[in-house]
Amino acid sequence: MADDIVDVLIVGAGASGAAVAWSLAETRMRIVCLEQGGWMNPAEYPSNGRDWEMRQYSEYQLSPNLRKRAADYPINDDDSPIAILNFNAVGGSTILYSAHFPRFHPSDFRVASLDGVADDWPIDYWMLEPFFAENDRNIGVSGLAGDPAIPFHEPPLPPVPMGRMGEAMGRGFNKLGWHWWPSDTAIVTRDYNGRGRCLNLGPCNAGCAQGAKSSADVTYWPMAERAGVELRTNCRVREVTVDGRDMATGVTYFDADGVERHQRAEVVIVACNGVGTPRLLLNSTSARFPDGLANRSGLVGKNLMLHPFGHVRGIFPEPLASHFGPQGSCILSQEFYETDSSRGFVRGYDLQVTRGAPPVAAARAGIASGTIPWGEDHHAAFERTYDRDINIGVLCEDLPEEHNRVTLDPELADSHGIPAPKVSYKLSENSRRMLEHGVARASEAMIAAGATTVHPSPSPIRYCGWHLLGTARMGDDPGRSVVNSWGRSHDVRNLFIVDGSVFVTSGGVNPTTTIQAVALYIADAMKKNLANLFD
Amino acid sequence: MSADVIGSDRPLTATQRALFEVVVDMIVPASADGTKPSAAEVGVLDFIAERQPGDLPAIVRDIDRLDAAARERHGAGFAGIDAASRRALVEDMRADDAAFLRNLAMHTVTCYYQDDRVLTAIGLEARPPFPKGYEVVAGDTGLLEPVRRRGSIVRDA
Ligand SMILES: Cc1cc2nc3c(=O)[nH]c(=O)nc-3n(C[C@H](O)[C@H](O)[C@H](O)COP(=O)(O)OP(=O)(O)OC[C@H]3O[C@@H](n4cnc5c(N)ncnc54)[C@H](O)[C@@H]3O)c2cc1C
Ligand code: SF4
Repeated sequence: MADDIVDVLIVGAGASGAAVAWSLAETRMRIVCLEQGGWMNPAEYPSNGRDWEMRQYSEYQLSPNLRKRAADYPINDDDSPIAILNFNAVGGSTILYSAHFPRFHPSDFRVASLDGVADDWPIDYWMLEPFFAENDRNIGVSGLAGDPAIPFHEPPLPPVPMGRMGEAMGRGFNKLGWHWWPSDTAIVTRDYNGRGRCLNLGPCNAGCAQGAKSSADVTYWPMAERAGVELRTNCRVREVTVDGRDMATGVTYFDADGVERHQRAEVVIVACNGVGTPRLLLNSTSARFPDGLANRSGLVGKNLMLHPFGHVRGIFPEPLASHFGPQGSCILSQEFYETDSSRGFVRGYDLQVTRGAPPVAAARAGIASGTIPWGEDHHAAFERTYDRDINIGVLCEDLPEEHNRVTLDPELADSHGIPAPKVSYKLSENSRRMLEHGVARASEAMIAAGATTVHPSPSPIRYCGWHLLGTARMGDDPGRSVVNSWGRSHDVRNLFIVDGSVFVTSGGVNPTTTIQAVALYIADAMKKNLANLFD
Repeated sequence: MSADVIGSDRPLTATQRALFEVVVDMIVPASADGTKPSAAEVGVLDFIAERQPGDLPAIVRDIDRLDAAARERHGAGFAGIDAASRRALVEDMRADDAAFLRNLAMHTVTCYYQDDRVLTAIGLEARPPFPKGYEVVAGDTGLLEPVRRRGSIVRDA
């Protein structure tokens, strides 16, 4: 069977691969997806057990280098102040994501025209709008219609509860006259398409035992499989193969038993995320592509954007029940999202208000920072912070810079001997200023909301490389981009890229709603162009 | 804490175990009002031995260092000196080396705040989050009124 030719072969079963698989399934083409990880079992997620907090610090580490599950591949991120985070399984990184789901703004697609930096995208918000809406319906997104910071849209489900902590922060933002709104969230707040509603368990970042978090394994994959897509798990792709006419012929991969196989395909779609995708392309060398597949522009792996992240923790005088509810989603402020040159930097950031720390996390944070001492005063100090804390993340737009890049590590390799990615990244002066501004504003908001103490963490936070963007950018000019405006490689006409690698800029919000909208947009363009897909 | 927790290849002597308990109780003693147990009572040693056995040797090395320092400074082992001298010695050693006993402190609170008695004392039910979950108040969206009144802030693009 492995030597059969399939119509479409997708590499990677995460947020984007799953969306594309579902969308293309209606064509009744033979579609196979190869995923290096397996299916997750929600009954094994930490929140099923009493030791749920500590398991977050071991098996569910966010960095693959610390987690070391069999499906993980190592990433050399020593040359970056920001560590790369991901998850490798059916559902990809959405297994761990917080599901904070704000859309890119229309301005994000036109930063060169508006602000004279980076490049405009070849597509815009309005081209993506139907796909944002389709994705919201498909996976179940919660939110409150009418957010004045972004064009009107109506999430299909009511917002996640903001709780007393959200009210406190909302009052603080009101005092300052700043924008805020309940966050759009990819979590179902009502029973939806056979999935149970969110139970406010808290630890969404270690997998959702209830299945309320709209990760790709519980949303797109069941639909795609029912529609006939074949998902082969524990299959790690080593390279995309090509013929002498610059057409992809399929992929070479290691199956679940470690046997090397070749799968032929008419079309190859890469959806391995902003680090996994350039790694695969750079590993796919041949006489015609000595520098990696689809890399005649030399841009594969370059322009990596990571959303530098700042963090402020505020402690409030009264109990707020702040650690219940979806960890990463509550309310957000987009007051500082757009460029204001008087601030000393271009572009902007999002203030993401997140829940407080549960007991173990609260105690560990206190011990680590010294705010909870050893000895008799431990208990009083713990009680002064536990259940009274609110966190604000400062999520900064990262601009594309060619020196921020993914290459192949000359020594490090995964368990199959496939060269591992190496990430080289420097924080720009623009990001540094933006972080400083954002952390100061977040602290100001905390004080306005009534915090008695405010603890800013040193920026950027190291373990915050969860958004991986820009390493195979889209554009009309083959000399300055890797794929065209609908995700097709300029160099290899039956090779498509659908994950965050194709992003031209990074926006100042979490990217996955936009990644999935772009993936659905590309799949739609493929369906519309089926008759002359390779012209 | 049972003496057999480490099993047949137990790496700690009885003296080291006693010392270990003294040290974790310095990190989190029982609460003065008697509602919360001390760290030794919740079984920190069992916990580390079971969950992170690889971390034990370094922790034991730190404890041995502490004991040796007590002998040097006071002519008696750490367990044999008074509480004020113990505190002063630990503080000095932590000031010299920020990593000294840090990992033990992290494991101690990780174990401590998963214990039934402790969770009950801080007002939680001693159970996993799933399947019962928690109630969270929706929050008053009327607070958004000023944000709505200001109108659209979408930048023309
Ligand atoms: C802790 C954490 C929190 C996050 N929180 C948020 C959030 O709140 N909001 C938000 O918008 N985003 C969040 N993200 C980011 C979000 O998860 C990603 O943007 C999204 O999953 C990217 O989708 P993708 O399809 O590009 O890649 P992924 O979802 O990462 O999927 C890629 C898949 O490809 C597979 N793969 C890679 N290489 C190979 C190979 N060679 N062979 C076979 N398979 C391969 C991987 O195993 C993986 O399953 C978070 C991420 C993390 C890690
Ligand atoms: S808070 Fe909701 S979405 Fe998050 S893990 Fe719990 S049930 Fe799942």
